[in-house]
Amino acid sequence: MPRHVACVMDGNGRWAQRRSLPRTAGHQAAETTVIDIIEAARAAGVEWLSLYAFSTENWNRPGAEVDFLMGLVRRVVRKHAPLLLARGIRCRFLGVADSRIPRELARDFEDLATLTSDNRGMTLTVAFDHGGRRDIVEAARSLIRSGTPADEVTERLFADHLPFPDTPDVDLVIRTSGEQRISNFMLWQVAYAEWVFPEVLWPDFRAPDFLACLRTYRRRDRRFGGVPPRTTGDPS
Amino acid sequence: MTTTGTADERPLFGPDSRFSGFFDDPRWALAIIRATVLEAAHPQIGAALVDNSTFVAHPWRRLRNTFLSMRRMFGADQAVREREAARLNRLHARMSGSDSRGRAYDAMDRATRAWVVATLFESAVTMCRLSGQPLDQDTMERMYAEYRSFLAALDGDASELPEDLDDFWRYFDRVVEDELENTEAARVILFRLFDHLPAPALLDGAPTLWAAGRAVVGPLLGAITVASLPESYRRRAGLPEMPGASTLMQGAYCAAGLARFLPEGWVNAESIIEALSLSPDSDDPRARTVAALTARMKRASALLRLLTPLSGVPQPDPAPSAGTGESRRSAEEFFRTVLDQTGDGHLDWPDLAAMARELCTRLDLDEPEETRLYDAFAAWWRELQEALDTDGDGRVSAEEYAAAVPSLAGPALIRVAEVLFDATDKDGNGSIDADEYRTLFRTAFHRDLTTTDGVYSQSAFVSDFLSFMSGRRTNTAYDPLLADA
Repeated sequence: MPRHVACVMDGNGRWAQRRSLPRTAGHQAAETTVIDIIEAARAAGVEWLSLYAFSTENWNRPGAEVDFLMGLVRRVVRKHAPLLLARGIRCRFLGVADSRIPRELARDFEDLATLTSDNRGMTLTVAFDHGGRRDIVEAARSLIRSGTPADEVTERLFADHLPFPDTPDVDLVIRTSGEQRISNFMLWQVAYAEWVFPEVLWPDFRAPDFLACLRTYRRRDRRFGGVPPRTTGDPS
Repeated sequence: MTTTGTADERPLFGPDSRFSGFFDDPRWALAIIRATVLEAAHPQIGAALVDNSTFVAHPWRRLRNTFLSMRRMFGADQAVREREAARLNRLHARMSGSDSRGRAYDAMDRATRAWVVATLFESAVTMCRLSGQPLDQDTMERMYAEYRSFLAALDGDASELPEDLDDFWRYFDRVVEDELENTEAARVILFRLFDHLPAPALLDGAPTLWAAGRAVVGPLLGAITVASLPESYRRRAGLPEMPGASTLMQGAYCAAGLARFLPEGWVNAESIIEALSLSPDSDDPRARTVAALTARMKRASALLRLLTPLSGVPQPDPAPSAGTGESRRSAEEFFRTVLDQTGDGHLDWPDLAAMARELCTRLDLDEPEETRLYDAFAAWWRELQEALDTDGDGRVSAEEYAAAVPSLAGPALIRVAEVLFDATDKDGNGSIDADEYRTLFRTAFHRDLTTTDGVYSQSAFVSDFLSFMSGRRTNTAYDPLLADA
């Protein structure tokens, strides 16, 4: 069983276009999938689940779509907060640094993280306004600020300066809709990840598809290029 | 008139006094608000309060200081009382000026000071009456003697208050009739203070809960206080008469009066005030409980906010950026919480004087250290004024401050830090040890403090002070000292 599963939620726009609906309808349809997958992952015993909700590059999308996304995410967060709390899921948001994020949304993110901070069931990391390179640059800045001598910098020490340093390496990345790209997602943590690329679009992705991905993962022969399995993260 | 001895030969001060009996009385909380409004309605006191007092921006700190001062004044120890009286006199001697209509005020004016004592006495009597447990004549006379001695301890003698209780009531009614006005300070206390009351340190982590509670309690407290004021003042000041307000007021006093049936020790003003000013990161043993409580309240507030229906909910509070451990605050916030001590939206000499006052109180300074510290702050004020007051109106606005933040750390500020260091270093050995540190900050050495061998050197002290005052670093030991409400 993979310890840390990450999903790149791709295909919302295409899902909507195939139905001659506006792209926003695709994002709306994605909500059901998100809740379904969170529940499936929890039930399957996945300890860490990460979802790629919005990348630093997504700001380039049309303004109306971005605005819609912000409103949608806010509604989803508020709607499901009690459920996430009751299910014992610890939620946190990776990124969330851009000033274009509405203040109310940032507040809700913070509230949800505070609310669920004591949960121990599963850790759900939502990458929102996330960029893998930016995190690495931030870690480098933090290292330099801490005055660490160059010779002492190790992979482990470097990882301690990344946001949420307790996050273990990603074991499995699922990218829906058949696209086969990394797209600047958790670059440091996916170093040894296995990738699966189901053809199904994210709004159509359901628990059985997710479990199928887990089965695929179990059939893979992970070798880590001769490196110890976990270079980062809390081994507890 | 001496400060001790009446017919029954019991001491007027100390644990047996009537005053001490009221100390832990919950009715006193309501009566103090009433007394403060009556004080503030006096034009001289009102002007002094508006100019100098920190009660709008830092009401909890002010409450705590007043409480401790009153306890010293009414305690049994003569030497402590004399020292406290001298300190209060020095503190008030530094307050004078003129009100918005150009009338001069002076915090040392004897008649005015007598009025402060008169309002306290009258409110104590009234609170007993309003709660349906009036004092008998003997007790009232005894208590009057205590309050006169209190004035005498402050002023040398009590000649400004009539010797006889009967004459006192005539004096009181005359002042209410002739001198009290609808001052700005009284309006602030009645209608603004409770609606905007900042959370005490204890509840600082739960702004939503605090605001929700305040929205209910604030107007109630205002209505209760208005209804308890003398009728003639209500009429002159044009205060609203609300249906049911007097019933509500009497109900509140009665309910507070019922606390006398609680087991002894349940209601203890000192522990309540101390607990309210406890901040979660102090090293007090109770702080862990507080921290746990605060975490729960934070989660409860978060849930409350998330469950609030979305439509038309304005969210005025700026959200601090999520989870990045932000250690700098905005210029605007620093101005509001630290620099503008009197909460009037401008940085002025009374703001810096209030800082000096707070530091002197913490360190329990005597002369000449107190004057040295005030002088250092005064020099800093001149430096600030020169650098920041671009429109030349004699005070610094939040915009002027924000436009010129870097120039804050001038030589005068460094001088303030050095004088503060000397004052804190009581034994004068050139470094601050744990005890001296605790006197100033009421906590043990901070974890990330650059201490060597358990002492705090002058250079580290000065640089920390500067980084708080100009680098706007937050989460320092200075926050509970100068920023907490």
